[in-house]
Amino acid sequence: MKPPNSNEHFEDGLRRALRPVDAPDGFTERLMRALPADAKPVLVSSSGAPRARARQFGIPAALAASLLVAVMLGKHVAVEREQLAEQQGREASLELMRALRLTSEKLDIAYQAVQSPPPAGAEENRS
Amino acid sequence: MNLQATNPVPDSLLLQARAGNRQAFAALVRQHQGSVFSVGLRMLSRRDAAEDLAQDVFLQLYRKLDSIESLEHLGFWLRRVAANLAIDWLRRLPYSATQPLEEGAEVAVQDPDSDPLMSRELTRLLGELAPHPRAVMLLRYQEDQDVAEIAAALDMPVNTVKSHIKRSLTTLRGRMIGAKLIDCEELT
Repeated sequence: MKPPNSNEHFEDGLRRALRPVDAPDGFTERLMRALPADAKPVLVSSSGAPRARARQFGIPAALAASLLVAVMLGKHVAVEREQLAEQQGREASLELMRALRLTSEKLDIAYQAVQSPPPAGAEENRS
Repeated sequence: MNLQATNPVPDSLLLQARAGNRQAFAALVRQHQGSVFSVGLRMLSRRDAAEDLAQDVFLQLYRKLDSIESLEHLGFWLRRVAANLAIDWLRRLPYSATQPLEEGAEVAVQDPDSDPLMSRELTRLLGELAPHPRAVMLLRYQEDQDVAEIAAALDMPVNTVKSHIKRSLTTLRGRMIGAKLIDCEELT
Protein backbone atom coordinates (compact mmCIF):
# COMPACT_ATOMS: atom_id res chain seq x y z
CA MET A 1 0.00 0.00 0.00
CA LYS A 2 1.29 3.43 -0.88
CA PRO A 3 1.44 5.81 2.05
CA PRO A 4 -1.59 8.10 2.09
CA ASN A 5 0.40 11.12 1.04
CA SER A 6 -2.17 12.84 -1.15
CA ASN A 7 -5.87 13.42 -0.81
CA GLU A 8 -6.65 10.58 -3.14
CA HIS A 9 -4.20 8.17 -1.57
CA PHE A 10 -5.33 9.13 1.87
CA GLU A 11 -8.96 8.45 0.99
CA ASP A 12 -8.00 5.14 -0.64
CA GLY A 13 -6.19 4.17 2.55
CA LEU A 14 -9.28 5.07 4.53
CA ARG A 15 -11.48 2.95 2.28
CA ARG A 16 -9.16 -0.03 2.70
CA ALA A 17 -9.00 0.44 6.45
CA LEU A 18 -12.76 0.70 6.73
CA ARG A 19 -13.82 -2.24 4.66
CA PRO A 20 -16.72 -4.08 6.39
CA VAL A 21 -15.67 -6.89 8.70
CA ASP A 22 -17.55 -10.12 9.29
CA ALA A 23 -20.15 -10.33 12.02
CA PRO A 24 -19.28 -12.74 14.84
CA ASP A 25 -19.85 -16.45 14.22
CA GLY A 26 -23.39 -17.56 14.90
CA PHE A 27 -24.78 -14.04 14.70
CA THR A 28 -27.63 -14.99 12.35
CA GLU A 29 -28.58 -18.02 14.43
CA ARG A 30 -28.69 -15.96 17.64
CA LEU A 31 -30.77 -13.33 15.88
CA MET A 32 -33.22 -15.87 14.51
CA ARG A 33 -33.68 -17.30 18.01
CA ALA A 34 -34.49 -13.79 19.25
CA LEU A 35 -37.21 -13.29 16.66
CA PRO A 36 -40.81 -13.72 17.81
CA ALA A 37 -41.57 -17.39 17.14
CA ASP A 38 -45.21 -17.19 16.18
CA ALA A 39 -45.62 -13.99 14.24
CA LYS A 40 -45.13 -13.26 10.62
CA PRO A 41 -43.89 -9.76 9.92
CA VAL A 42 -46.90 -9.00 7.77
CA LEU A 43 -49.75 -10.87 6.19
CA VAL A 44 -49.17 -10.82 2.48
CA SER A 45 -51.93 -11.86 0.12
CA SER A 46 -51.32 -14.13 -2.81
CA SER A 47 -51.21 -11.03 -4.98
CA GLY A 48 -48.40 -9.83 -2.76
CA ALA A 49 -49.99 -6.41 -2.35
CA PRO A 50 -51.47 -6.02 1.12
CA ARG A 51 -51.56 -2.25 0.92
CA ALA A 52 -53.44 -2.30 -2.38
CA ARG A 53 -55.96 -4.67 -0.84
CA ALA A 54 -56.30 -2.40 2.14
CA ARG A 55 -56.91 0.54 -0.15
CA GLN A 56 -59.38 -1.47 -2.24
CA PHE A 57 -61.51 -2.79 0.61
CA GLY A 58 -60.47 -0.91 3.70
CA ILE A 59 -61.88 2.52 2.90
CA PRO A 60 -65.36 1.38 1.71
CA ALA A 61 -65.55 -0.96 4.70
CA ALA A 62 -64.65 1.89 7.05
CA LEU A 63 -67.29 4.12 5.42
CA ALA A 64 -69.93 1.41 5.70
CA ALA A 65 -69.07 0.83 9.35
CA SER A 66 -69.28 4.58 10.05
CA LEU A 67 -72.66 4.78 8.32
CA LEU A 68 -73.97 1.84 10.32
CA VAL A 69 -72.78 3.37 13.58
CA ALA A 70 -74.39 6.72 12.64
CA VAL A 71 -77.73 5.03 11.85
CA MET A 72 -77.68 3.03 15.08
CA LEU A 73 -76.79 6.11 17.06
CA GLY A 74 -79.58 8.12 15.40
CA LYS A 75 -82.09 5.38 16.16
CA HIS A 76 -80.97 5.20 19.76
CA VAL A 77 -81.30 8.98 20.19
CA ALA A 78 -84.80 8.95 18.62
CA VAL A 79 -85.96 6.15 20.95
CA GLU A 80 -84.56 8.00 23.95
CA ARG A 81 -86.33 11.20 22.94
CA GLU A 82 -89.61 9.32 22.48
CA GLN A 83 -89.29 7.72 25.90
CA LEU A 84 -88.56 11.09 27.46
CA ALA A 85 -91.57 12.70 25.80
CA GLU A 86 -93.76 9.80 26.94
CA GLN A 87 -92.57 10.13 30.51
CA GLN A 88 -93.12 13.90 30.47
CA GLY A 89 -96.63 13.32 29.15
CA ARG A 90 -97.36 10.85 31.91
CA GLU A 91 -96.12 13.28 34.55
CA ALA A 92 -98.21 16.13 33.10
CA SER A 93 -101.28 13.91 33.09
CA LEU A 94 -100.74 12.97 36.74
CA GLU A 95 -100.30 16.62 37.63
CA LEU A 96 -103.54 17.52 35.89
CA MET A 97 -105.40 14.72 37.65
CA ARG A 98 -104.06 15.91 40.98
CA ALA A 99 -105.15 19.50 40.25
CA LEU A 100 -108.63 18.34 39.17
CA ARG A 101 -108.97 16.28 42.31
CA LEU A 102 -108.05 19.24 44.50
CA THR A 103 -110.46 21.51 42.64
CA SER A 104 -113.21 18.95 43.02
CA GLU A 105 -112.58 18.68 46.76
CA LYS A 106 -112.73 22.47 47.14
CA LEU A 107 -115.98 22.61 45.18
CA ASP A 108 -117.47 19.88 47.37
CA ILE A 109 -116.62 21.85 50.48
CA ALA A 110 -118.11 25.03 49.05
CA TYR A 111 -121.26 23.22 47.96
CA GLN A 112 -121.73 21.66 51.38
CA ALA A 113 -121.28 25.06 52.99
CA VAL A 114 -123.97 26.58 50.80
CA GLN A 115 -126.44 23.71 51.27
CA SER A 116 -126.24 23.33 55.02
CA PRO A 117 -128.85 25.49 57.05
CA PRO A 118 -127.42 28.23 59.23
CA PRO A 119 -127.33 27.54 63.01
CA ALA A 120 -130.42 28.70 65.07
CA GLY A 121 -128.54 31.18 67.20
CA ALA A 122 -127.47 33.02 64.20
CA GLU A 123 -131.09 34.20 63.28
CA GLU A 124 -131.75 35.41 66.82
CA ASN A 125 -128.61 37.40 66.98
CA ARG A 126 -129.55 39.12 63.72
CA SER A 127 -132.95 40.31 65.05
CA MET B 1 -23.01 -18.66 2.16
CA ASN B 2 -23.59 -18.35 -1.54
CA LEU B 3 -26.95 -16.66 -1.70
CA GLN B 4 -27.03 -16.31 -5.43
CA ALA B 5 -26.93 -20.07 -5.80
CA THR B 6 -29.99 -20.61 -3.62
CA ASN B 7 -31.82 -17.38 -4.45
CA PRO B 8 -31.17 -16.31 -7.98
CA VAL B 9 -33.73 -13.49 -7.87
CA PRO B 10 -32.86 -11.28 -4.89
CA ASP B 11 -36.14 -9.38 -4.86
CA SER B 12 -37.98 -12.64 -4.41
CA LEU B 13 -35.98 -13.10 -1.22
CA LEU B 14 -37.43 -9.89 0.11
CA LEU B 15 -40.93 -10.90 -0.94
CA GLN B 16 -40.54 -14.27 0.74
CA ALA B 17 -39.25 -12.65 3.92
CA ARG B 18 -42.18 -10.26 3.88
CA ALA B 19 -44.53 -13.23 3.53
CA GLY B 20 -43.11 -14.67 6.75
CA ASN B 21 -40.44 -17.00 5.39
CA ARG B 22 -37.84 -17.05 8.16
CA GLN B 23 -35.19 -18.70 6.01
CA ALA B 24 -35.49 -15.88 3.50
CA PHE B 25 -35.17 -13.35 6.30
CA ALA B 26 -32.08 -15.17 7.59
CA ALA B 27 -30.57 -14.99 4.11
CA LEU B 28 -31.18 -11.24 4.01
CA VAL B 29 -29.53 -10.91 7.40
CA ARG B 30 -26.47 -12.85 6.21
CA GLN B 31 -26.17 -10.53 3.21
CA HIS B 32 -26.12 -7.38 5.32
CA GLN B 33 -24.85 -8.38 8.75
CA GLY B 34 -21.20 -7.54 8.02
CA SER B 35 -22.05 -4.01 6.99
CA VAL B 36 -24.38 -3.37 9.94
CA PHE B 37 -22.00 -4.98 12.44
CA SER B 38 -19.07 -2.93 11.08
CA VAL B 39 -20.99 0.32 11.45
CA GLY B 40 -21.78 -0.67 15.04
CA LEU B 41 -18.21 -1.75 15.81
CA ARG B 42 -16.58 1.36 14.42
CA MET B 43 -19.15 3.66 16.00
CA LEU B 44 -19.28 2.03 19.43
CA SER B 45 -15.72 0.62 19.58
CA ARG B 46 -16.88 -2.56 21.31
CA ARG B 47 -17.69 -5.92 19.79
CA ASP B 48 -20.41 -6.80 22.31
CA ALA B 49 -22.13 -3.43 21.86
CA ALA B 50 -21.79 -3.74 18.08
CA GLU B 51 -23.48 -7.15 18.14
CA ASP B 52 -26.27 -5.82 20.35
CA LEU B 53 -26.76 -2.92 17.98
CA ALA B 54 -26.80 -5.18 14.92
CA GLN B 55 -29.37 -7.44 16.60
CA ASP B 56 -31.51 -4.43 17.45
CA VAL B 57 -31.32 -3.16 13.87
CA PHE B 58 -32.37 -6.53 12.39
CA LEU B 59 -35.17 -6.98 14.93
CA GLN B 60 -36.48 -3.57 13.90
CA LEU B 61 -36.16 -4.65 10.28
CA TYR B 62 -38.22 -7.77 10.98
CA ARG B 63 -41.03 -5.62 12.34
CA LYS B 64 -40.77 -3.11 9.49
CA LEU B 65 -40.35 -5.50 6.55
CA ASP B 66 -43.70 -4.38 5.23
CA SER B 67 -42.31 -0.92 4.56
CA ILE B 68 -39.22 -2.09 2.65
CA GLU B 69 -39.83 -1.65 -1.04
CA SER B 70 -36.71 -3.08 -2.66
CA LEU B 71 -33.27 -4.47 -1.88
CA GLU B 72 -31.79 -1.03 -2.56
CA HIS B 73 -34.21 0.47 -0.09
CA LEU B 74 -33.28 -2.28 2.36
CA GLY B 75 -29.59 -1.34 2.21
CA PHE B 76 -30.39 2.34 2.71
CA TRP B 77 -32.76 1.55 5.58
CA LEU B 78 -30.20 -0.64 7.37
CA ARG B 79 -27.41 1.94 7.06
CA ARG B 80 -29.73 4.71 8.21
CA VAL B 81 -31.04 2.82 11.25
CA ALA B 82 -27.63 1.44 12.25
CA ALA B 83 -25.89 4.83 12.08
CA ASN B 84 -28.65 6.72 13.87
CA LEU B 85 -29.04 4.05 16.52
CA ALA B 86 -25.30 4.12 17.17
CA ILE B 87 -25.32 7.92 17.50
CA ASP B 88 -28.26 7.61 19.88
CA TRP B 89 -26.47 4.97 21.99
CA LEU B 90 -23.34 7.12 22.13
CA ARG B 91 -25.45 10.02 23.40
CA ARG B 92 -26.99 7.90 26.13
CA LEU B 93 -24.10 5.65 27.07
CA PRO B 94 -20.89 7.27 28.21
CA TYR B 95 -18.65 4.31 27.56
CA SER B 96 -17.28 4.98 24.14
CA ALA B 97 -18.03 8.49 22.93
CA THR B 98 -14.36 9.29 22.50
CA GLN B 99 -12.86 5.95 23.38
CA PRO B 100 -10.63 4.32 20.79
CA LEU B 101 -11.24 0.72 19.85
CA GLU B 102 -10.57 -1.69 22.64
CA GLU B 103 -7.75 -4.11 22.10
CA GLY B 104 -10.00 -7.06 21.41
CA ALA B 105 -11.94 -5.13 18.84
CA GLU B 106 -9.36 -5.25 16.12
CA VAL B 107 -11.13 -4.44 12.93
CA ALA B 108 -8.38 -3.65 10.49
CA VAL B 109 -8.99 -5.55 7.29
CA GLN B 110 -6.46 -8.14 6.24
CA ASP B 111 -5.59 -6.89 2.80
CA PRO B 112 -2.39 -7.85 0.98
CA ASP B 113 -2.20 -4.36 -0.53
CA SER B 114 -2.66 -2.52 2.70
CA ASP B 115 -0.27 -1.52 5.42
CA PRO B 116 -1.69 -3.13 8.58
CA LEU B 117 -0.19 -0.50 10.85
CA MET B 118 -1.68 2.30 8.75
CA SER B 119 -5.09 0.62 8.63
CA ARG B 120 -5.11 0.00 12.36
CA GLU B 121 -4.13 3.58 13.10
CA LEU B 122 -6.73 5.05 10.74
CA THR B 123 -9.42 2.90 12.32
CA ARG B 124 -8.33 3.92 15.80
CA LEU B 125 -8.23 7.62 14.93
CA LEU B 126 -11.66 7.42 13.35
CA GLY B 127 -12.94 6.14 16.68
CA GLU B 128 -11.78 9.38 18.27
CA LEU B 129 -14.02 11.56 16.10
CA ALA B 130 -17.31 12.86 17.51
CA PRO B 131 -20.34 10.62 16.77
CA HIS B 132 -21.82 12.57 13.85
CA PRO B 133 -18.62 13.06 11.84
CA ARG B 134 -17.68 9.46 12.64
CA ALA B 135 -20.98 8.24 11.19
CA VAL B 136 -20.51 10.46 8.14
CA MET B 137 -17.00 9.09 7.53
CA LEU B 138 -18.19 5.50 7.93
CA LEU B 139 -21.02 5.93 5.47
CA ARG B 140 -18.65 7.65 3.05
CA TYR B 141 -15.62 5.36 3.22
CA GLN B 142 -16.96 2.06 4.57
CA GLU B 143 -20.32 2.03 2.83
CA ASP B 144 -19.22 4.09 -0.19
CA GLN B 145 -22.26 6.36 -0.03
CA ASP B 146 -22.32 9.70 -1.80
CA VAL B 147 -22.91 12.97 0.00
CA ALA B 148 -26.63 13.14 -0.82
CA GLU B 149 -27.23 9.59 0.42
CA ILE B 150 -25.39 10.32 3.65
CA ALA B 151 -27.41 13.50 4.13
CA ALA B 152 -30.64 11.54 3.67
CA ALA B 153 -29.55 8.75 5.99
CA LEU B 154 -28.49 11.05 8.81
CA ASP B 155 -31.12 13.76 8.30
CA MET B 156 -28.58 16.51 7.87
CA PRO B 157 -27.98 19.12 5.18
CA VAL B 158 -25.65 18.19 2.32
CA ASN B 159 -23.32 21.06 3.21
CA THR B 160 -23.00 19.78 6.76
CA VAL B 161 -22.01 16.37 5.41
CA LYS B 162 -19.39 17.96 3.15
CA SER B 163 -18.09 19.99 6.03
CA HIS B 164 -17.85 16.93 8.31
CA ILE B 165 -15.93 15.03 5.62
CA LYS B 166 -13.51 17.89 4.96
CA ARG B 167 -12.82 18.58 8.63
CA SER B 168 -12.50 14.89 9.51
CA LEU B 169 -10.05 14.26 6.66
CA THR B 170 -7.97 17.21 7.83
CA THR B 171 -8.04 15.96 11.42
CA LEU B 172 -7.16 12.39 10.50
CA ARG B 173 -4.34 13.47 8.20
CA GLY B 174 -2.99 15.79 10.88
CA ARG B 175 -2.95 12.98 13.41
CA MET B 176 -1.32 10.60 10.96
CA ILE B 177 1.39 13.18 10.37
CA GLY B 178 1.71 13.62 14.13
CA ALA B 179 2.18 9.88 14.48
CA LYS B 180 4.75 10.04 11.65
CA LEU B 181 2.74 7.55 9.62
CA ILE B 182 2.64 9.92 6.66
CA ASP B 183 5.01 12.56 5.40
CA CYS B 184 3.67 16.10 5.62
CA GLU B 185 5.89 17.38 2.83
CA GLU B 186 4.25 15.05 0.36
CA LEU B 187 0.74 16.15 1.18
CA THR B 188 -1.03 18.08 -1.51
